[in-house]
Amino acid sequence: MLQVLLFASLRERAGWSERSLFWSSDYATPRAVWNLLELGSLQGISIAVNQELVDADQPLQAGDELAFLPPFTGG
Amino acid sequence: MGLIHVEIRLAGFDPWQELAQWSGHAAAASVFVGRVRSTAMDGRPLQALELEHYPGLCERQITRMAVQLQREHAAGAMLVIHRVGRLVPGEPVVLVAVQADRRGAAQRCSAALLEQLKHHAPFWKREWCADQGIWLEENTPL
Repeated sequence: MLQVLLFASLRERAGWSERSLFWSSDYATPRAVWNLLELGSLQGISIAVNQELVDADQPLQAGDELAFLPPFTGG
Repeated sequence: MGLIHVEIRLAGFDPWQELAQWSGHAAAASVFVGRVRSTAMDGRPLQALELEHYPGLCERQITRMAVQLQREHAAGAMLVIHRVGRLVPGEPVVLVAVQADRRGAAQRCSAALLEQLKHHAPFWKREWCADQGIWLEENTPL
């Protein structure tokens, strides 16, 4: 399985916050998963795998938690 | 190296009370308190500010940034408290406090940590005006 999480404006754009995908070789990288989700451009979106910020082309593995994060606005 | 304390709070907090419990004996301390402003980014009266975070990653990112900055500035104890949830104007959003042996180190480290927190920690703000919420796309300018 691959656990995909969306936050804030991305969650509302997609209409879901969490999704479990059966593992497939189509999910080789965060960029590949993003393209399948059809949520627009990846520009400005941060990516975390297993709660570590990573590059869009970092290889994924079954069991990973993948999160797509809109621009941060804390503080 | 002093202790680094990072906390995300769901409930409101009084920054001065927190500081009273935290303060040590360093020669210098720099404190920043950020509160919810009364107007939205577009100038309308703000009803509420909603703050969301990515639990786990958020605390770790802030701690990582604090450790790095503490080393760079030879700072001492550091305290970060950040609210999430629904806040009303005037409520404290963030408290950043840094102790050091010199004022320059305390002030520079505190300012740097706040800026990093704003741009590199997974928090998101949604402004509520007239019962409509708008997610912010960027932070307020320095």
